[in-house]
Amino acid sequence: MTQSVWGPAQQEMADLLGNHPDDVPGVVEQLRELQAILTRVPPLLGENPLCDFNKLYLTITEGVLERLYAGKFKDPAFLSRLDVEFAARYFDALRAWAGAGSSPRCPQVWTALFTRIPGPDCRPLPSACAGVNAHINFDLPFALVTTFDHLGRDPIDDSDQHHDYLEINEIFAESIPGLRRGYLEKWQLLIDMMNGCLDDWWQGEAIEYTRNVAWRNAQKLWGVRHDMAATDRERTSLDNTAAGVNKLLLSPLGAFLQ
Amino acid sequence: MASEEEDGPLVGRADLLTQIHSDLRNAGPGGTSAVFVTGESGVGKSRLLRETARAMRDAGFSVLSGTCLDIGDASPLHPVLQALRQSGHSGRAVAADAGDLLDRVSRDLHAVAGEQRLLLVLDDLQWADRSTRQLLLYLLAGLSDVKIAVLAAVRAEALQGAHPLRKVLAELRRLRSVRVVDLAPLDRDQTVELVTAVAGDTVEPEDADRVYKRSGGNPFVAEELARDLRDGRVELSDTLREIFLSRVDELPPNAHAVVHAIAAGVEPTEHAVLARVVPLAEAELIEAVRVAVAHRFVASAEDGYRLRHRLVAEVLAAEVLPAEAAALHRRFAEALEEGDSGPDHARLSHHWQQAGEPARALPSVVAAARSAEALYGFTEAHRYWSSALELTTDEAPERTELLAHAAESAHQCGEHLRALSRLDELALRADAPGGCDLHLRRARYLAAAGRTATAEQEYERALSSPDCSLRQRASAAAYLAELLLHLGRYADANARAQEALEMAEVNGSTADLVRASAALGFSAAFREDPDAGLAVIRHAVEIAERSGHPDELGVAYLHLAELLTGPLNSIEEGVLVARRGAERLASLGAGRTYQTRLLAIAAKGLFRVGQWSEADAVLDDAMRHRPSGADAVELLLSRCQLWVGFGDVDAAHRDLDAVATLLAGGGARHVLPMLTLRAGLAMWQARHAEARAAVQRGLTETRSDDLVLIGVLAWHGLRAEAEAHAAGQPVDPGALRRLKVSVERMAAGVGNAAAPVRATIDGYLDLCAAELSRAEGRHEPDLWARAVQAWDRRRQPYPAAYSRLRQAEAALQRRSRRAAATTALREAYATAIAMGAQPFRNEIVSVAQRHRVALADDVPTVPMPAPSPALDSSDELGMLTLREREVLAAVAEGLTNREIGERLFISERTVGVHVGHIFDKLQVRTRVQASRVYLTAA
Repeated sequence: MTQSVWGPAQQEMADLLGNHPDDVPGVVEQLRELQAILTRVPPLLGENPLCDFNKLYLTITEGVLERLYAGKFKDPAFLSRLDVEFAARYFDALRAWAGAGSSPRCPQVWTALFTRIPGPDCRPLPSACAGVNAHINFDLPFALVTTFDHLGRDPIDDSDQHHDYLEINEIFAESIPGLRRGYLEKWQLLIDMMNGCLDDWWQGEAIEYTRNVAWRNAQKLWGVRHDMAATDRERTSLDNTAAGVNKLLLSPLGAFLQ
Repeated sequence: MASEEEDGPLVGRADLLTQIHSDLRNAGPGGTSAVFVTGESGVGKSRLLRETARAMRDAGFSVLSGTCLDIGDASPLHPVLQALRQSGHSGRAVAADAGDLLDRVSRDLHAVAGEQRLLLVLDDLQWADRSTRQLLLYLLAGLSDVKIAVLAAVRAEALQGAHPLRKVLAELRRLRSVRVVDLAPLDRDQTVELVTAVAGDTVEPEDADRVYKRSGGNPFVAEELARDLRDGRVELSDTLREIFLSRVDELPPNAHAVVHAIAAGVEPTEHAVLARVVPLAEAELIEAVRVAVAHRFVASAEDGYRLRHRLVAEVLAAEVLPAEAAALHRRFAEALEEGDSGPDHARLSHHWQQAGEPARALPSVVAAARSAEALYGFTEAHRYWSSALELTTDEAPERTELLAHAAESAHQCGEHLRALSRLDELALRADAPGGCDLHLRRARYLAAAGRTATAEQEYERALSSPDCSLRQRASAAAYLAELLLHLGRYADANARAQEALEMAEVNGSTADLVRASAALGFSAAFREDPDAGLAVIRHAVEIAERSGHPDELGVAYLHLAELLTGPLNSIEEGVLVARRGAERLASLGAGRTYQTRLLAIAAKGLFRVGQWSEADAVLDDAMRHRPSGADAVELLLSRCQLWVGFGDVDAAHRDLDAVATLLAGGGARHVLPMLTLRAGLAMWQARHAEARAAVQRGLTETRSDDLVLIGVLAWHGLRAEAEAHAAGQPVDPGALRRLKVSVERMAAGVGNAAAPVRATIDGYLDLCAAELSRAEGRHEPDLWARAVQAWDRRRQPYPAAYSRLRQAEAALQRRSRRAAATTALREAYATAIAMGAQPFRNEIVSVAQRHRVALADDVPTVPMPAPSPALDSSDELGMLTLREREVLAAVAEGLTNREIGERLFISERTVGVHVGHIFDKLQVRTRVQASRVYLTAA
């Protein structure tokens, strides 16, 4: 139980995760500090797969914060809550992680990514995608339900909240091509110049698709949220499905994505 | 046969227990405390609860214990009412409204506690219904008189996903008075200690090690495995399931039947019920229970039997054949029906449904729905109506009525989507209500769901449907006018309201008449025809007065007071109306909610016109109505605004904590005012970073059309930056840039606002422009002069005086117009003294001293060497606030509360509150003792 999964960063990690940020600036701050700590986790240091995801997530959340300040959302109170609830689930998974086989409270889908932190090395893009998959396909529907429940509203299509929720797709679309270019190695540059646009489009589609699925799943969960047994069943099945995708992404097959 | 004595040794929890005791004993500023224990099943939460309850009882607490049920459909407030019943107090609540219910329950709790502090222990809180969660927040916010400590256990598994408690705990854990303890499994050494304690010292190390590996440090499992070791049983099974199943199989048949029966029941199972469920003769049954207890499956208490651990029930449930389970539930249902303890609809419906007998379940489900509605548990009622629908088929004649109930209860508990789909289903029924009725209901649900455009269409459809009676037509038009008003379409609202009023005068109910008048009055006022609007609403008050119905009176007075204090800015008259309305309702002894809301309007008005002591008294009055929910939040925010103004930091923090507690249950629209107050308080304490963080968070959560809210917030933000600049600290360029963007947004939007709103926004724009000049080191007196004019025109002395102070400061810094600056400073000083605005007064004095301006005869023109009393915390008086010291000084002079109130410009009641706090802090009981402490220290 006391085994150290974060190596020399164990104490810093525990201290950081002792915070529970309650606003978007706080979430950005926490992700930024997390990024600094993750680059010190041996043996892969800055190359570990969680680092890749965290970096993407930080970029995206900074984008959300900028848009909140700029008044780009129709219902900022909703979006702020959602962002905080969403991030809380990622931090929860990190908190629950105590190594493979001894983290009963860590969702399968996150476990799939976390077990790869010490290696073997996998490509940055599939790693980031695995994190996005866990976060969007598993965490997001629950974050949506909690947020709506708290605000006393329903998840209705074409509402202000749905509009704001879809607006985040834009931020993903903006973040991912830039992030990809940062990862390119020389020999990949050629391939990218040939089909880069296509690839970016594919990436963007994938996230938009899964994000709409998350909205639909949230609506489904909303209907059974007072029925704890049914909610548990839904959670397990979402976890299993998303974990399956992650295993695929992190397998040698996932490297084809890169 | 008390179960407690058979508990095994408690290992590895001693420090935690001590910690929990002290957390529970140390009440926060609101006089309450709470510890939530989370952890996986079997980790020892319930045990920890029992141990703590026992220790607290010994320490002089009065203890009440309740358990939440996992039958999905528990009745509202079940665990608390159950606990009250067990202690012999009423536990049968009948109330006039939801707030009244909370009040009654807390009065029962008060009766249980007497003079002692009360510890409320709640196990399995993850199954608590919504009403129980609301009650908990109400109690923890200190809204009842009960000095309560809450100790609750929550299964960690349940907090994953989207459980409502997740959010509640996340918010509460920020409060100083709340602790969330995550109960971890035992480590290796602790497990070995537990094994040795149970099985003796002779246990082989490798055996103990194996127990640790198998149990994962879960004490419940480890203890059972240790018992096996001691009894020489070889345990081969690895899973929890196998461990317990092999053990159940060893039971003799009768005991086996008893364990299965209790597992299927809703705990606790009374002996009489068990006797009817298990077909055994009295002596055999008792023997069988004895064996089940001896084998540590069952615990027996005064009120009945329980399984020692619910984990066992879950294991057994998976093993029983469906037919067996159904038969057991049928016998339970029959036993409960035969029982003489009055029908428990929630339990009955659970058992009939599990027995697969929908027809027999239906009556109890409907009865349970009705009794949930009687307890204002609309969420629970909605669940019952929904299960009633699941129990009937399309052919059933009662389905139409059930659908109507299900739709309405969904609407009442905020499930608007569900309400609409039920209504669609209802419309398809052959015996559906008429078209007009359906349109009206759909429109109401749509409006509540925020889908205003579709709601408008539905009202139009209702109006044009052929079966619309004259009365319905009046009602639809009045609702539609109200909706248009909310949408800001004042001309349309005005026309519609006119029409509605004409119809309502002939055929409508008084409620419709009042609603139409209000819509007409407000739309007229917003269209800059205030006198016409005022006349209509005054007329509505007269009509309501004639009807004498408390609800109608309440609504009419509310509208009139809101119109006067809001768009018309006739605050004094609005305050008068609000207070008269509250008195009128009080004389009828009804309409408590309306009285509270009217007093809240009066207090807000009084605050704005600078009569703070009067506002204080009114708020005291309003709080005595024991408000709950949003009403309570509004009042606490208003009161906190006063504390911030008075400079009573402790009281301000207490109320902010109470607000945060209530908001943990939901209520996004109150978050911004809370953040604004937090920023204001932090600024008086020179905590610029805190103020900045609160404002910046607020900026991420404001809608771009909430111009007044943005105005207040941006002003606070700019002021925080200016204060930082003045204190020689760096200004945050990012924050400043974002604040400027907000101000621009405000300036761009102000043209579209209604005239009365525009005046307020303009006032904030002036303040922002002036504050920005201060933050950027320009500090222009002319900009402040404009702000002075704007707020003088609005007749709000506080922002006006604040602007005067800054205007004078800017002029003095530029060494220009010293005489005018001195006058402005003295005016501001007089205002601050009259309001009792202590921190503001101090600020004026320090500016005056810096520039050697004489404010009044009794104020020194240079800073005195003596440190300000609030900073000196070495003596006994250090824990008192500035205000409390002033009160104490007056007490020591021998003044009465009334005399003190007159001297300090606060109400007599407030003085009483301060004196109470002083006694608490100094731990004295009389005025003489308090005076002695003061005189010794001084």
